[in-house]
Amino acid sequence: MAVDKKFVGKTWPTMVYEVGKEKVKEFAKAIKSNNPYYLNDEFASQSKYKTIVAPPTFAVVFGAKLIEPIFMDKELNLNVAMLVHGEQEFEFYTMVKAGDILYSNTRIIGIEHKEKLDVVAIEIMTKNQYNQDVSKGIYTFVVRK
Amino acid sequence: MKAMYEKNSIDAGDTFNAQQKIDKYRAIYYAGASGDFNPIHIDAEFGKMVGLGGAILQGLCTLGFTADAVTTWIGDPGRLKKIKCRFSLPVKIGDTITIEGLVTEVHEDTGTVVIKVINQNGGDVLTNVQAEVVTK
Repeated sequence: MAVDKKFVGKTWPTMVYEVGKEKVKEFAKAIKSNNPYYLNDEFASQSKYKTIVAPPTFAVVFGAKLIEPIFMDKELNLNVAMLVHGEQEFEFYTMVKAGDILYSNTRIIGIEHKEKLDVVAIEIMTKNQYNQDVSKGIYTFVVRK
Repeated sequence: MKAMYEKNSIDAGDTFNAQQKIDKYRAIYYAGASGDFNPIHIDAEFGKMVGLGGAILQGLCTLGFTADAVTTWIGDPGRLKKIKCRFSLPVKIGDTITIEGLVTEVHEDTGTVVIKVINQNGGDVLTNVQAEVVTK
């Protein structure tokens, strides 16, 4: 069954995520990064950021916590067994630092019906504890029919 | 120490490249770090059952490698302003992916980087990969 277009604009409650320094390092190691901005405390403390910062794609870590409730949403009723991640887009405005508290909001920005599949686009906007824009992520999922 | 990691200016025509061999446990490390424990990534038997021929790497891990190739090249990760891609082919455990970036255009302080991400057979695992970086 096609994903109903009436869900364009649907939002979910703001999610709060506190950025832990060791979590940042764990993520950097998972993507096999050697970048001292993410991994070296001494280097990071002397950098312009004064502390460990997260790799840009760390956005997926708090993003995953926002995407999961969408997959489980009974009203939207996505067929997750037939769902694949089609496209991804990120814009980065302010670096994520260890100790930051992030506030993210999720919204469905597009639902398209094609012959054999539906395309669902989800936007995640994130701000930090200083109300600065941190990042925008657009996750595009393809659901085969 | 800092100077080692900073690229001062970026011009059209600049290139960079990186390579990643997908070790047996990579998808498991990435699952732990990212929270993406979908069984198609961490359970080879499940991957076979759904016709993928085994476990496949998380697409966002491939994008993570790609973004990291960019930030390793430019030094300060705050200079990466945008990145996007389409997930085209699954990356399998044991694959080797090659990431090749080319600065196609510089406008004021922003450089557009077009990136090719291919597997060992020359297949594009990501397509439409583009990044924007601060050039100075």
